Amino acid sequence: MNEILASGEMISTYLDERRKNKTPFYDELADPNGTIFPHWQKLVASYNKLGNEKMDDRERIVANQLRENGVTYNVYGDPSGMNRPWMLDPVPVVFSEENWRIIEKGLKQRSKLLNFILSDVYGDRNLILSGHLPFELIYNHKGFLRQMDKVKLPGEQQLIHYSADLARGPAGKMWVLHDRVDAPSGAGYTFENRVAMTRAFPEMIRENRVRKITTYYQTLKNTLVDLAWQNKEDPRIVFLTPGTTNETYFEHAYLSSFMGFTLVTGGDLTVSDGYVWLKTIKGLEKVDVIVRRVDDIYCDPLEFEMHSHLGVVGLMEAVRQKKVLVINPLGCRVLENPGLMAFLPTICQHVLKEDLILPSVATWWCGHDREKQYVLDNIQSLTIRKIYRNSANKSIYGPTLSDQQVADLKKEIITRPYLYVGQEMVNFSTTPSYINGKLEARNAVFRSYAVADTRDNSYYIMPGGLSRSSVTAGVFMVSNQSGGISKDTWVLGEENKSSTGASQSITKQIESFLPSRTGESLYWLGRYAERSIFIVRLIRIVLKRYNEIEDENHPERDVVLTAFLEALSRITLTLPGFTEKKNLHNPTNELLSIITDDQKIGGLSHSLHAFLRNGYAVRDRLGLDIWRILDSIAAESSILKNTDQLHDMTSPLDNLIVKLMAFKGLSVDTMMREQSWNLLSIGRFLESSLKTCAILKSVLAKKQDHETEKTLLENVLINNESLITYRYKYRSTFEISSVLTLLLLNEQNPRSVAYQVIEVDKQIARLPSGNEQYLNPMRKKLLEAITMVRLADTFMLAVANERTGQRKELVTSLEKITAHLQEVSNLIVNYYFNHTASEYGFVTMQIPEI
Amino acid sequence: MIYTVIHKTKYLYQTMASLCHNIVYQWPADFPFQRLDNYHYNIMPEPNFLVKRQDYFENPYLYFSVQKTHRELEVQSNSTVTLTTPKWIGINPEQTPAWEEVVKNLRGKETSNEIKQFYLESKHVNFITGLREYALQSFTPARPIMAAMHELNTRIFNDFKFTPGFTEISTPLEEVFKHKKGVCQDFAHFGLACVRSIGLAGRYMSGYIETIPAPGKTKLVGADASHAWIALYIPDTGWVEFDSTNNLLVNDQHIRVATGRDFADVVPLKGIVYSGGGQKMIITVEVQKIGESGD
Repeated sequence: MNEILASGEMISTYLDERRKNKTPFYDELADPNGTIFPHWQKLVASYNKLGNEKMDDRERIVANQLRENGVTYNVYGDPSGMNRPWMLDPVPVVFSEENWRIIEKGLKQRSKLLNFILSDVYGDRNLILSGHLPFELIYNHKGFLRQMDKVKLPGEQQLIHYSADLARGPAGKMWVLHDRVDAPSGAGYTFENRVAMTRAFPEMIRENRVRKITTYYQTLKNTLVDLAWQNKEDPRIVFLTPGTTNETYFEHAYLSSFMGFTLVTGGDLTVSDGYVWLKTIKGLEKVDVIVRRVDDIYCDPLEFEMHSHLGVVGLMEAVRQKKVLVINPLGCRVLENPGLMAFLPTICQHVLKEDLILPSVATWWCGHDREKQYVLDNIQSLTIRKIYRNSANKSIYGPTLSDQQVADLKKEIITRPYLYVGQEMVNFSTTPSYINGKLEARNAVFRSYAVADTRDNSYYIMPGGLSRSSVTAGVFMVSNQSGGISKDTWVLGEENKSSTGASQSITKQIESFLPSRTGESLYWLGRYAERSIFIVRLIRIVLKRYNEIEDENHPERDVVLTAFLEALSRITLTLPGFTEKKNLHNPTNELLSIITDDQKIGGLSHSLHAFLRNGYAVRDRLGLDIWRILDSIAAESSILKNTDQLHDMTSPLDNLIVKLMAFKGLSVDTMMREQSWNLLSIGRFLESSLKTCAILKSVLAKKQDHETEKTLLENVLINNESLITYRYKYRSTFEISSVLTLLLLNEQNPRSVAYQVIEVDKQIARLPSGNEQYLNPMRKKLLEAITMVRLADTFMLAVANERTGQRKELVTSLEKITAHLQEVSNLIVNYYFNHTASEYGFVTMQIPEI
Repeated sequence: MIYTVIHKTKYLYQTMASLCHNIVYQWPADFPFQRLDNYHYNIMPEPNFLVKRQDYFENPYLYFSVQKTHRELEVQSNSTVTLTTPKWIGINPEQTPAWEEVVKNLRGKETSNEIKQFYLESKHVNFITGLREYALQSFTPARPIMAAMHELNTRIFNDFKFTPGFTEISTPLEEVFKHKKGVCQDFAHFGLACVRSIGLAGRYMSGYIETIPAPGKTKLVGADASHAWIALYIPDTGWVEFDSTNNLLVNDQHIRVATGRDFADVVPLKGIVYSGGGQKMIITVEVQKIGESGD
């Protein structure tokens, strides 16, 4: 059996390399003699059957699936690394049923143990009194938040979710490398990985009886609902993210929409009367549970890090009042303490009367003299870590240190020994990874997920998780920030029947009103989408005309060109721009700057940026296909930015229009007709009506000779996508009052101001308090605007002063309509988005003086 | 001695504030040799939400929020306390235990963690270079702890120049040590860092002291201020208080409000205001002796 399996091309190379290199690592697939472990045999047979070519196909399916789902990972400090695509190895990490039973048992035990320690540290601290935990290991740890002393969640379980990073040591046993409790990440990526793998390898997942991971998410949700203080049936659960620039923002958006939680940033929440409130477009709504991805010390600037802008002022007091539940509880970071690892075995014996099932990496805490001496003596063969983890405290690898660094580190350890641990550097197991069409052995780390199950006071362990393998062979330190490839994790065997009793539908949306910030982003998303479209169209008209003019040395003499150049400056509000003569004479630089300079407020690049930024902020509200469009608009926008010749711009501009239109079309086609849709539409129609007025006013303010006017009108129609309609309807030459009728008054024409203003009104009527027995201030203003439009006499508007050629009536009317519409915008912003200020100005503090 | 203290803080905002959250440490806690006879506060505008709580170090504090538009915020605390002569006044410093004994004692099981925590570093009290050496000049081998502390207290008083405005809250201890300038809280932090760096337990004291006008001058109303000093732990005696700003062993003129690891634990008033503009702060403290002795 083994010979047949091992003779497959991909596998035989893998096994040969392994034999040849004599690596010190345990291998997940085969023993040192090349005998494939039983739980890999079916998989190996499948890989052999697939062969390289088909494997490449499957790899592409995986990559496409992830890209199409917009799975990304932000990398700090790397401008090109923002939203890096998520990498997934098509070969999973595999656990056999027997092996998993031990791991699962070990993780349950460890969850229980850490929960006990957490309760104790913020309770009576008996473990310290009895000497099981050194006092300095806790009291010196920055994660020990005194404010949380004696503050508890209901029930015995304080640790609601927990992740351990595991790896297999040389003897085949699993070791715990890190404990993660303060907002552990990855559960969303894990789910996406599984979706992609299911798409690419459906038969393997079936044949191997790979266990499902969905119960984990269901249990988390059940537990949160169960825990809420007010015992509501439908508690408002929010997912607190640091924001769109966070490395795992994708996951925050993904998980929250998947689980039916409202995605919020600190600015969306406010504390008053001791409760936490979410600002929605309807007003303030009470929040019952906060699942946080913000580190605990950044959660309340009043009581913790006062310079944090990620948190909610007063949150800690709301927690004390038992008015809101924060998950995991603030202060839990005291468990992310490698020093603890040295004491877990005895604490486990003391508390649970059991042996610790999953060992931690051998750890020496320097707070004790003997251990300190050991670490100092062996510093160059150990990993040195601080007991408190943050971005400044990276692990230090002894062998990589210079003599000077060793001396400095020793000095630092001697000064503050209790802050340091030394840990053994262990060689972790390798597992097959599919790299450049070849199976290669790579070291891997596995992140597990545990969640409290309040129904029976136990912990549920996800049968699976997020594995990551190193990019380079022979390196075992893996993190996503420094590059690494994720792997799906397959646990084989029977589903555990008892744990799948979760009943509630996971995707049930309990939200009633949109958060104000989300609403605001959607509104501006709509406005910037439409604004970008208008600008691109106008630029296309300008470029076309610029190429056609007769006297290329004197572009300023072409009335049509100058009219549209001026319109461009006015529409983008990049004044003076083309209202100045010198720019008309040589328009190239100003045009380039309007197109490519993202610092130029109002310009195309700036407007696209704003569009994308708002889109990214509400990505949990948009369908997968819309994410794809947004990504491709981002790509097109960067192509455009890197173009420095006007004549090279035509094609990217064309592409951009198509994609922006696709965004519009898809949102019409796919978005639920609810508040998100209403606000997006309001933004779009309002922007469109404003821009139409602006173009009409700018281009048609002055009467020109017959031929010029014809060309101007034709281009105005083109710019408004109404040329075909005009021809069909009027079948005549271009004539200003007909054009004005079509673009201003015609309520059947979706491109007319009248139509758009009516649409804005319809959408507002569907929003909260939009449809009372009386008109709200926004609808009153809109009524004024639409009435003005309806009553307009286009023949009167077309009349020009005989001497100056100015169309005074047209200009004044358009200005009045514009003023009304701008007032509508202000009212919308104040009415729906500004419930309370979201930015706090300053922190005050009084200093003693004597 | 019986004292009344009126501590008034007024904020004037440049633009309207819609919301503010504050924490106030002005309610005198329980201390030996001090009795709180009366305390009341007055906050304008009236808070929408207010609770009195006790913190980890057993200090009382007020948390309040104002949820209406306001342009001014005023917090006033009125306290009356009776101070008695602490028992450490009668102790002969030379007959206190050697400081190394105390260090050993602090490490032992007989000392509670709630005392031990005060020999650790804290936010504003760090073991900077040169500090231990500075401390050891007074804490010579086997010297009685109180005698050594007296000397350290005097050295800080002589070496450091009281200079209002030179430091702010974020000024690191290194700067204070380097320039030997600062105000009471800097000296308190420095003194704490000295004693903790050699393994002794010291805690930060926040409160008030009556300023004595220069001979022939009348005392100005509101000329007093919040004050800070330190307490050193001596087994069997307890927390003994030293004021290095005034070079003295605390007797019955220091009105204690709160104690913690350092200033950050017991800020007299801190808050976060939702307002666009800047602010102006006016603080007045008035300490008045109203009686010679308690009952």
